[in-house]
Amino acid sequence: MTTIALSLRYVDNVGFNADNGGRGFHLPTAMVVRGDGRIFVASRSSRSQTVIVGIQMVSRDHDYYGQIGRHGGEPGNMIGPTALALDGDDNLYLADDFLQRITVYDPQGDLITTWGTKGSDEGEFDAPSGLAFDRDDNMLLVDHRNNRIQRLTKDGGYISQWGSSGDGDGEFNLPWGIAQDRDANVYIADWRNDRIQKFTPDGEFIAKYGASGDGDGEFYRPSDVAVDSEGNMWVADWGNQRLQVLDPEGNFIAKARGEAHLGVWAQEYITAQKDEERARSSYVPVFEVDTDDINEESARIEPYFWDPVAVAVDDKGRGYVLETGRHRFQIYELA
Amino acid sequence: MVAVESKQDLRLMAHLLRRAGFGATPDELDRAMDKGYDAVLDELLNPAGNDDIPHDLIRRYHVDQSNLHSGGAQAHWMYRMAVTDYPLREKMCLFWHRVFATGSYKLIQTRVVTSQIDMFRDHGMGNMDNLLVQLSRDPAMIMWLDNQDNHKGSINENYGRELLELFSMGVGNYTEEDIKECARAFTGWGVVNPAYMMIKMRNNTSRPYGNMTWQFEYDDDDHDHGQKTILGETGDFNGEDVVEIICRQEATPRYIARHLYHYFVADEPPVPQWPHTPPTNPEAIDAMTEAYFESGHSIKHMLRTLFTSDFFKDEALRYGRTKSPTEMVVNTLRLAGRMELPCYETYDAARASAGMGQALMGPPSVEGWQGGTEWINTGTYVERVNFVSRVLGDPTRPGVRQIINRIGHAAGDDDLSPESLIDACLEVLGPMEVLDSTRANLTEFAGTYGRLSFSDEGRAADTEEAVVNLIQLIVSTQEYQML
Repeated sequence: MTTIALSLRYVDNVGFNADNGGRGFHLPTAMVVRGDGRIFVASRSSRSQTVIVGIQMVSRDHDYYGQIGRHGGEPGNMIGPTALALDGDDNLYLADDFLQRITVYDPQGDLITTWGTKGSDEGEFDAPSGLAFDRDDNMLLVDHRNNRIQRLTKDGGYISQWGSSGDGDGEFNLPWGIAQDRDANVYIADWRNDRIQKFTPDGEFIAKYGASGDGDGEFYRPSDVAVDSEGNMWVADWGNQRLQVLDPEGNFIAKARGEAHLGVWAQEYITAQKDEERARSSYVPVFEVDTDDINEESARIEPYFWDPVAVAVDDKGRGYVLETGRHRFQIYELA
Repeated sequence: MVAVESKQDLRLMAHLLRRAGFGATPDELDRAMDKGYDAVLDELLNPAGNDDIPHDLIRRYHVDQSNLHSGGAQAHWMYRMAVTDYPLREKMCLFWHRVFATGSYKLIQTRVVTSQIDMFRDHGMGNMDNLLVQLSRDPAMIMWLDNQDNHKGSINENYGRELLELFSMGVGNYTEEDIKECARAFTGWGVVNPAYMMIKMRNNTSRPYGNMTWQFEYDDDDHDHGQKTILGETGDFNGEDVVEIICRQEATPRYIARHLYHYFVADEPPVPQWPHTPPTNPEAIDAMTEAYFESGHSIKHMLRTLFTSDFFKDEALRYGRTKSPTEMVVNTLRLAGRMELPCYETYDAARASAGMGQALMGPPSVEGWQGGTEWINTGTYVERVNFVSRVLGDPTRPGVRQIINRIGHAAGDDDLSPESLIDACLEVLGPMEVLDSTRANLTEFAGTYGRLSFSDEGRAADTEEAVVNLIQLIVSTQEYQML
């Protein structure tokens, strides 16, 4: 076996805590990168700060294009966004686990339709948490609380399903994120089983990667996976507060704990607040913490990932890691 | 004779579980009776493990409860209290939250207050010296009382003053000079990156990337190593030394014992009156003080003394304290039964508690909540009734269903008179006792349902409806506000 000496190189970050609305995100949970570079990020926010709930449109060059939807149950709005995906026509699909529905927007962000019924029958779902489109442009929907993957038409018609509750091959324990490789094989972040599972395009089990733990190649509650053009798996190792990359056979390649600097929007804010700018000049991140709780560690150390929830890879091989806790995404390259 | 004793035992057990916990469902009371008072008290005082709450699910479904900076912290604690297997430990968290009152409205971030509550969970029934050292290192407390501004050669007295006045000995047991010397001993006790953390707090901003949770840092260069004289003792004291001196003073356990008496037994006057108003029950304070010194300053031993005492078991004091809003809300949620995640009700519960006058992590001042009869006024009473009758008026909730089934099972094939139905409802909700006038009103209401029977299919639905409506009426009474 050839050893691949690759490591993750931090490139940049885009984000800002926009808890009162405007440019930035607040407690974001989902993202998708469009072919033209436009990035859609869904902010779930908190129950007391709902003005920012919606889908923010940005670019990796720090452009901000505005927001789609807002907090609420009306068509086009949202309460519990969990996943975003684009179909072959670049229509945008949003999953909402509070409203238990899928909302569809056209490429301009205008509402097309909304559909979905909570339940466990064919075509129904309970907490949709991952979305993707297969090579026939049908939807693959991660049916979180029903522990299955459903294939649906773009308007919600039932086609097929696989998976059931459990920890055996092809079984799930509250699955979350989904990805496909260039051969249309399907990868599922089997969240509470602490592993990634790989399936054929038809849902036949191929392999599983990882086990519970915090060692290289191990996971604790992985929330999302993306597959690059080389077949490497980029995993949002949510519970371990890190990014891991595995090769196509599942061997560990690299990991990152996060190293965000002050991004463009953050720097603009700090520069405009003279007292904060002065105080910030004496700020030095302290990486030694008096806690074993890695979530708390992330809460204290700003450059680190805090709740890395979603990961996407663009056609240049850049990986985007969305962090709920820090209201931003960090961009990495394999080098 | 046996039956009477058993009934007395049942009432005493219910009293213990109301005061040392958040009340008991009928099934929980049955299980407690099987174990007996001493065994139940042992379990309360010695939690066998950590609460096994599913942190991953909470953080997955309630992202603000993972962050804890952006709201959600109060709901997070509510959930914990509502599902805990160790209610006295949570009750002691509430107790210390009241005594060491720290408000997130100044600190901006609630995450650090949550960490302070976690510290109470770990140390709140342990050794008093250790608890006060942990408190002095607690970042939320440091920033709440400005100890990050307490420097060698330029002291800030806030923490030193409150440590003596509100957290340990009480007014009248130390001098102004002791406060200054105490402050000197705590110079250098601060947080990492204090300048930036302070400006973010002052500006009320969590930008650009959310708050950074504070971390304790001791700066020896900023600590005053000079001689200090505190409470008659002289030396190059640091913070731990001061705590040790304070905890040796008799005033400390007497002050804490009075708080414990007020919280678990019967109302004491407001703390500012304590220096010139003797305790309601001086013998109780003496007994707990003795337990404190005998046990090497153990809070748990003070609690054991309290809960095994005649003054605690005194029938005349039962249902003599007003439930705090949080006790009321948690008691109700626990009666209503199992809570599934995601759980949005905990947000409503936290809001309801605030509406009744107790915003968790938002005490009105450093003196906390006085409580007692002050909890009740016209507005807060309406909040109480609305919340409780909404939750317990829902027969689909497992706990309410259990209550209905229990009453139905006990009735068997017999018809129920209005009086016996009311007795059954009061029994499962307490057991509670109500004024004659309250009973008369309830009886009149139950009488409007005509024949009451669970076994007659034609009458079962109406009888069940009568139970639900009676529960709503009973929990709206003045008696239900008491514990």
